[in-house]
Amino acid sequence: MASASRGPKATVDWAELIGRVAARGDREAFKALFEHFAPRIKGFLIKTGCNPDEAEEIAQSTMVSVWTKAAQFDPSTAGAAAWIFTIARNQRIDAARKATREGRLSKEIVLDEEADPTLAADQIVSRVEDATRVAAAIERLSVEQSTVIRLSFIEERPHSEIAAVLGLPLGTVKSRIRLAMNRLRDLLDDAT
Amino acid sequence: MTISHHPPEDLLADFATGALDEAERLVVGVHVADCHRCRRFVRAVEQLAGASLDQAEPVAMGAGAFDAVMARIDRRPQSAPVVREVAEVDPELADLPEMVKRCKIGKRRRVAPGISMRPIMLSGTGKSRAFLLRSEPGARMLEHTHSGNELTCVLKGSFSHLGGYYGPGDFDYGDDEVDHRPVVGDEGPCLCLVAMTGDLRMHGLLGRIISPFVRL
Repeated sequence: MASASRGPKATVDWAELIGRVAARGDREAFKALFEHFAPRIKGFLIKTGCNPDEAEEIAQSTMVSVWTKAAQFDPSTAGAAAWIFTIARNQRIDAARKATREGRLSKEIVLDEEADPTLAADQIVSRVEDATRVAAAIERLSVEQSTVIRLSFIEERPHSEIAAVLGLPLGTVKSRIRLAMNRLRDLLDDAT
Repeated sequence: MTISHHPPEDLLADFATGALDEAERLVVGVHVADCHRCRRFVRAVEQLAGASLDQAEPVAMGAGAFDAVMARIDRRPQSAPVVREVAEVDPELADLPEMVKRCKIGKRRRVAPGISMRPIMLSGTGKSRAFLLRSEPGARMLEHTHSGNELTCVLKGSFSHLGGYYGPGDFDYGDDEVDHRPVVGDEGPCLCLVAMTGDLRMHGLLGRIISPFVRL
């Protein structure tokens, strides 16, 4: 667990703070979450193409959802940062939808299944097993592989720019991205 | 149900990061909701994205942002009951995946003998269109080419082409190089969810049909 939130500053247990927000609307815990994540959501969104005003608004609405959905967070199946990422992603999609007239009239296509209290026990077990398997697969990706996945898919940088950043020919970048994706798929399939 | 055809990994990664347009997101989402293997892949990309977010260079929030967020939290309706609109009874849609049922779906249009489609009304933010395509067993597929990509998820029935057999949950990805002549299985009509970008070029007499039509 916690592979996603393990970083140089992983001294705070974010999952525990989300739990306190869920259990008793703990504003101190929420403030700590806000101070850590809101500026990072904003920075992440700007890096991936939002303008600063959009990024500010999406970061704010993401934090509102962190509060309202805190009870749905399950630390045994997702890291805190990954969970917050999925909320920010959905808020961003929703903001783009609302920017069109048709979009304001249409309904949101909800991306991921929200925590469903009616889930059978074996499904919950399988989610926890999946989380373990996902964490193990990510551990086993090489730095080189996770770097190209991050640059290409998460930061959405063009291949030419990745080639420049890594100092590699364009063809090498393309094949490295493909290999990294195949490797991740294989690791997820084999790892037990 | 055994799913044996999956979206390419780059499509799954774009789904996980929110980079797909609306129609593509819907078709990939319907497959992922049904496919344990692809769901794991999406989770893995979300974990990587979470790590990336956590390590992003912070950009200071606007003055008063925290208070603004708390005010929005305090103003929100206390556990507003979720009122579900009672959708009109539409037998064809009754047993479709939730994600499809939540969409607004247009009227049926006949495309060719034994083939009809219903457009899915999206917000129009993306480049691709989505529709339900229904083919009767034995329906003859039109030969056509298109300039963009085509994403298909089988909802009911089946079809086969050179790439293999496609049953419920299976995902077929076609680009402009594909020119299969699929055959619908004879167990019943085949219903597919399709997202398509680019133009269609029909061959032969039926080229005048402007309706979206796919290589199914």
